[in-house]
Amino acid sequence: MPGQFRGQLAEKSWQTADMVKLTLRVSRRWPGFIPGQHVLLTLEHNGKNLPRPFSICSPLSLWHSQRQIELCCKVQHNGAVTPLLAQLTAGSRVNISAAQGAFSWQQPARPALFVAAGSGITPIASMLLSQRHWLTPVSLYYRVRGKEQAALLAPLQQLAAQQPLFSLQLSDSRFEHSDAFTRQVCTEGQNKQLYLCGPQALMQQLNAALVQSGVAKHNIFQEQFGPALLAQSTDSISGQYQVALQSSTSQQVFSAQANQSLLQSAEQQGLNPRFGCRIGVCFQCVCDKISGQVRDIRSGALSGHGSEQIQLCISQPVTDLVLKQ
Amino acid sequence: MVLSNEQYQALAQELDGLKQQVQAQLGEADARYIRRVLLVQRISAISGRILLVLGFITPWLWGLGVLLLALGKILDNMEIGHNVLHGQYDWMNDPLLHSRRYEWDIACEAGSWQRTHNVEHHSYTNIIGLDRDFGYGLLRLSNDFRWRLRNLWQSGTYLLLSMLFQWGVSYHELAGQRVFFGKKKANRQTQVSDSELKKAFFGKGVRQLVKDYLFFPLIAGPMWLWVLCGNLLANLIRNVWTSTVIFCGHFTKQVYAFKPEDCENESRGHWYYRQMLGSSNFTGPTWLHILTGHLSCQIEHHLFPDIPARHYPNMAKQVQAIAAKYGTPYNTGSFLRQYSTVFWRIMRYSLPGGKSAVKAL
Repeated sequence: MPGQFRGQLAEKSWQTADMVKLTLRVSRRWPGFIPGQHVLLTLEHNGKNLPRPFSICSPLSLWHSQRQIELCCKVQHNGAVTPLLAQLTAGSRVNISAAQGAFSWQQPARPALFVAAGSGITPIASMLLSQRHWLTPVSLYYRVRGKEQAALLAPLQQLAAQQPLFSLQLSDSRFEHSDAFTRQVCTEGQNKQLYLCGPQALMQQLNAALVQSGVAKHNIFQEQFGPALLAQSTDSISGQYQVALQSSTSQQVFSAQANQSLLQSAEQQGLNPRFGCRIGVCFQCVCDKISGQVRDIRSGALSGHGSEQIQLCISQPVTDLVLKQ
Repeated sequence: MVLSNEQYQALAQELDGLKQQVQAQLGEADARYIRRVLLVQRISAISGRILLVLGFITPWLWGLGVLLLALGKILDNMEIGHNVLHGQYDWMNDPLLHSRRYEWDIACEAGSWQRTHNVEHHSYTNIIGLDRDFGYGLLRLSNDFRWRLRNLWQSGTYLLLSMLFQWGVSYHELAGQRVFFGKKKANRQTQVSDSELKKAFFGKGVRQLVKDYLFFPLIAGPMWLWVLCGNLLANLIRNVWTSTVIFCGHFTKQVYAFKPEDCENESRGHWYYRQMLGSSNFTGPTWLHILTGHLSCQIEHHLFPDIPARHYPNMAKQVQAIAAKYGTPYNTGSFLRQYSTVFWRIMRYSLPGGKSAVKAL
């Protein structure tokens, strides 16, 4: 399939009650990855292809030596896709995309502080476990709800035991308030590069506090995790707009709710535009906006009125729109 | 007007309801089905091409190869290509089976076909002057067109069109836009420039010619002539079959045509009504339906062009019941009966006079 590579599940293990680690044997054609990147894993449910992004959590060495990668996935038991992961068995065939994403360890020679929360550990574990030449002290703050919720803890503890330049500190969210945690990150983070990955609310809090405490923006690197769609409160937005979706062969008109993504509105009215991850990372649903204005659901930022590319899955209408796919 | 506005509305509601009912069932069975057809298509095309070369053992193998290759092409064009390009499988979100990505084994580029077929033919079905598929600008099929001398030998034109059908389909958009010949229309709407049309026409056409008449014969070595003739014959079988099926869908005896002024600002119910009157079905066993890409259920296809075609035969029973309820003609019959009326129509209107096919609405 175009843009897709075959993988076979070699092993499945539960890291915690709701985090499953998939070890995939990947086709030789797969072009490899930079630690910190993610892939789209396509699962099929009821005849429908459902791609979702998952970060690679394994070190580069596993890929080089055995052509395997590991994905650590949080299973949302009431979700549409992740429960299917639980049904996969060793030998199941899956399709993955090439690795994508810009979150990576930029300058390993500079002191760095990694901050991971929950399933945000996955890309960071890959970065740390891939590192072979340690040049400077690096610490990882890993925030979880109790030790038993900490995925990938064993290999990281092993790394900390073997590598004197690396230190690991767990923060238990049941006992340490997020404000105290933020203060600690701000104190420790001075004059370091910061790599943040975790739920959006915590990331926003950390980011704001860090900038306020004087850390330069270009020293903060982060990957947003989890469904960004839920992050923005959209209750207060209402209204309905007409959207004309043109292609070279047809024009379809649908009415889009202001508090929903254009993709959701289109699908509710029986249209089937192409889609991918549905959280704005894979660019499968990109359209040319000819006219009109949209809001980015993740950031709340408003677009211009003119012609530009937008992603249907993370755009809400602010005016009537003309789109071309 | 034949139905009242309320009746049109009720008709639309019933047909919309039927559509939603089927849409809700779409799922794994449909995905499995289309992938199995894809598998059969590939097996027959590949084994057909291999058997063409094995003709040196016995010509029977070559003959079987021609039939298998023709079957591969027919499945690719009808049950897979035509239906995928209608967007029937877009819901699967499978890049291989998405209407924006699929390209088929025929001279006509998929995008050009979507513009002329999905847009022009399916929106304006059988409206005189708007749907050029009614006679393809070559044949006089009712007394709504002035008789010209060339209509006298239109049965020959029809035979040629059938044999070269893929090229007719491919040239259809360029003919409509008067790219090479004829005076450009004053109110012509161009979505695609002439140069793009030419590029698509020649690009895809040359690719097909090179594939069937240069590449495969060349790699067959000493069997090149057998392979070349085999490809020619397979294409011919496919052309004649597709053209026959399509002619049975709209040019049977009891099919109706419409006037543009009767269709301005039409309601959804009116559109449905027109689609039922402008199309005709033929009956047959399941394998026949599959070979026609389920265009044997042309009426259902025109009512629900984006519903996966394998559901049409079942929907047909309900559509027929709805048609009976509203006293709407529902045109169906055996393949041979329907085709003989098509042939009669072509012969009859090669001579002047005859009846108008227009139904006043």
